[in-house]
Amino acid sequence: MKAKFVVPWVLFSFFILLFSPPPAALSAEKPIIIGCPLATAFLYGWDAERAIRLAVEEINAAGGVKVGGKKRPFAVEVMDTRDLEPGVPVSDALLTLEKLILEKKADFIVGGPVRSEAALAAMDLLSKYKKVSILTTGALTPAYHARVAENYDKFKYCFRISGEAVWMVTGEIIPCLVDIGNKFKVNKLFIMVQDVAHARGGGALIAKIMAGKNWTVLGDPEIYPTGTTDFSMGLLKAKKEGAQVILIWMDMPESSILLKQWYDLKVPALPFGSIIAPAEQPGFWKATEGKGEFCLANVVNAGNAPSKATPWTMKFFNAYTKRWKIEPEGYGTSSSYMAVYALKEAIEKADSLDPEAVIPALEKTDMMGVYGRIRFNAKNHQIIPSLDPKEGAVGTIFQWQKGKRVVVYPDKIATGQIQLPPWMKK
Amino acid sequence: MEILVYGIINSVTLALMALGFTLVYGISGLPNFAHGALYIVTGFIAWSFIHTLKLNFLLAMFLSLFVTGLIGAAIYRLFLIRVRGMATSEIIASYAIGLAILEGLRWGGFKGMTYTLPVFIEGSLQILGVQVDLQRIMVVVVGVVVMGLLWLFTHYNRIGLALRAMAQDERAALMLGIDSDRMAVAAMFLGSFLAGLAAVVLLPLGNIVVEAGYNVLIMAIAVCIVGGLGSWIGAILAAFLIGFVQILTVVYIESHFQIVVALLAIIVTLILKPSGLFGRQKELEERV
Repeated sequence: MKAKFVVPWVLFSFFILLFSPPPAALSAEKPIIIGCPLATAFLYGWDAERAIRLAVEEINAAGGVKVGGKKRPFAVEVMDTRDLEPGVPVSDALLTLEKLILEKKADFIVGGPVRSEAALAAMDLLSKYKKVSILTTGALTPAYHARVAENYDKFKYCFRISGEAVWMVTGEIIPCLVDIGNKFKVNKLFIMVQDVAHARGGGALIAKIMAGKNWTVLGDPEIYPTGTTDFSMGLLKAKKEGAQVILIWMDMPESSILLKQWYDLKVPALPFGSIIAPAEQPGFWKATEGKGEFCLANVVNAGNAPSKATPWTMKFFNAYTKRWKIEPEGYGTSSSYMAVYALKEAIEKADSLDPEAVIPALEKTDMMGVYGRIRFNAKNHQIIPSLDPKEGAVGTIFQWQKGKRVVVYPDKIATGQIQLPPWMKK
Repeated sequence: MEILVYGIINSVTLALMALGFTLVYGISGLPNFAHGALYIVTGFIAWSFIHTLKLNFLLAMFLSLFVTGLIGAAIYRLFLIRVRGMATSEIIASYAIGLAILEGLRWGGFKGMTYTLPVFIEGSLQILGVQVDLQRIMVVVVGVVVMGLLWLFTHYNRIGLALRAMAQDERAALMLGIDSDRMAVAAMFLGSFLAGLAAVVLLPLGNIVVEAGYNVLIMAIAVCIVGGLGSWIGAILAAFLIGFVQILTVVYIESHFQIVVALLAIIVTLILKPSGLFGRQKELEERV
C-alpha cells in the first residue's frame, strides 16, 4: 500500500524538479550591489528607495544584468543618512556613505545624499573610493555639476539624473509664472522660503528674475526656520500688500500648515510651490481636508505625478502603484527608477563593473525613459533637460484640482489648465 | 492689531506646550525631557484611534489624553523612580526615554507628512479687524480654561493641595503623611495629560511629525527657564514674553530670526537671572 503512494509522489517530485527553472541560477551569480544613501524618514528618501527596489525587482525578474558573459542580479543596500532632519550634521551622511562603500561593499551608489550640502561633501568621498554615483533625489544645487565640469578628472564619478535648481527656475518655474501672469493678468509676487541653502538661493533668484519681467516682487523673500508651525503673519502681510501669487520653496513637512492657513485666511493669491514637499504627495488632499486645492507643486521630473510624457511614464506609474499600493509620491521617484535602468544599460555596454569603463558608457546614455529622453551632458554629468520629452528630461508642475494632481506644465505633457481659487476671481 | 491678536495666540500656544513640563518639575523636581515625545505620541495615539479604531473624534481625543497620562505615570513608576533625586541621571534617563519613543515611532513607520488630526471647528472670523481661524481661537480658549482649572485644582482639590505641598517642601509634606512617590506619579500623569492636551489642540493646525517633538521640548525648556523652573505663573509670563517677541521679530526684523528668540531668551536669562523671572532657586542668584 505504501509503495502505491510513494511512487506517484517520487514521480511528481521528479517532474517538478525537471521542469522548474534552474534553482536560483540567477542568484547563484554574485550580485551587483547598489548602495543607496537616503533620508528614509522623508518623502525624498523613501520614494527613491521604493523606486530603486521596483526597478531592481523588474530587472532581476527579467534575468538581471549581463556582464562578463553572465547574468548577475542587482542587490540593494539602503542606509539612512538622516540628512533632511534639522540639526543632523553633514558628517553623519558622509559616514553613512562610507559605511555603504566599505562595509556593504557597494559597487555603485544610487540615490543621495539627499540634502545639497551633504551631496556636495560626498563628492570627494566618491572620488576617493572611485565609486560611480547617480544622484537621483533631493540635491538641486547647480554647484554639483559645476564641480564636475571644473574638475572632471576628480569628480567624473558623479552623475545626476534628476533636475537642478537653475533649469528648474529659468526653464520651468519662471516660464510657468509668466504664463500665469499673461493668462490671469496678475503680476504681484510674494515669496516665502525655508531657511535652507537651496530654498534661499532659489527664492532670491526667482525674485531677481521676476522683477526683470515687469512683476512686482513684494519685499524680500520671507525666510522661515525649519520646523515653523505658524505662517499667519507672512500670509497676512501678503494679503495686505495685495500679493497675487505666493511662491513657496520649502521641503519641511510643516509647509502644509502654510496651505491650511492660506485657505482659512482666504488669501487671494495663488500658492505656487517651487518645492513644497507635502503637496507633492497623493495623501496631501486628505491630510489637508481639501484645503490645499489650487496649490501648484513642482515635482522636478515627469512620472512623479500621472501624465503621458512618454509611453513608459504611465507604465512606470502603474507598476509603482501596484507594487507599493500608492501612487509615485513626488520628487525623486521616477529619477531613482530610471537611474537603475541607466546603470544597467551602462554596465552592459561597458561589459564591466570597472568605473573607468562604466563612466564613458553612462556618458553615452541615450534612452527614452519615464520622463523623456535620458542623456547626460558629457562634461558635467548633469541630465539634459527640455520642455519636450522627445528632446530631453522634462519636469512636471501640477495643480491640485478636485482631489487630483493635474499636470499643468510643461504644455507638451499637460493634462489640464491652471485654475484660480474662487475667492481670487473678480 | 495683528501683533496683539497673533501675539496672544502664539503666547498661549507656548504656554500650553510648557505647562506640563513646568508642572512636573514644580512638584517633583523632575525635569521631564520626554515631554516633547509625549506630545507627539498623543497625536499618533489620537490618529490611530480615529483612523484605525474608527472612534468618534471627541472620544478619541479624550482617550488619547488619558492613555498619554498613563504612559507618563508608567515612565515615572518604571524608570524615573529609580533615579529620583539624582538630577543628572533624571535628565539623561528622561531624555533617553523621549528619544526612544520618538525614534521608535519613526522606526515603526510613523513618518511622512500625511498624519493629521481634524480641527475642532472649521472657519475663520475677524477679531479687531484681523482674520483668525477658529481653531486658533479655540487654542486660546482652551489655554485660558486650562490655566484657570489648574489654579482651582491646586487650590481647592485635595490632590492638588498635596501636589502644592510637595512643591513647597517635600519633607514637610512627607511628615504630614503625603506619599511623595504617589504624588510624583500623579504629577507625571497630569504633566503628560497636559502635554497631550497641547497636542490635541495644536496638532490639528498642521501635521503630526516626529521632529516636532524636539521643537516642543526646546520651546518648553525655554519658557520654563525664562519663567523660572517650577513656577507656573513664571511659565505663563515667559510664554507671553517669548510669544510677543517672536511675533515682533517676524513683523519688524525677519521671520527666520524667530527661532533665535527662544534660544536667546535662555542665554540672556542664564546670564542675568539664572533662576528665571519667578524661580525659587535662590542659590543660583547667589552664585551670580
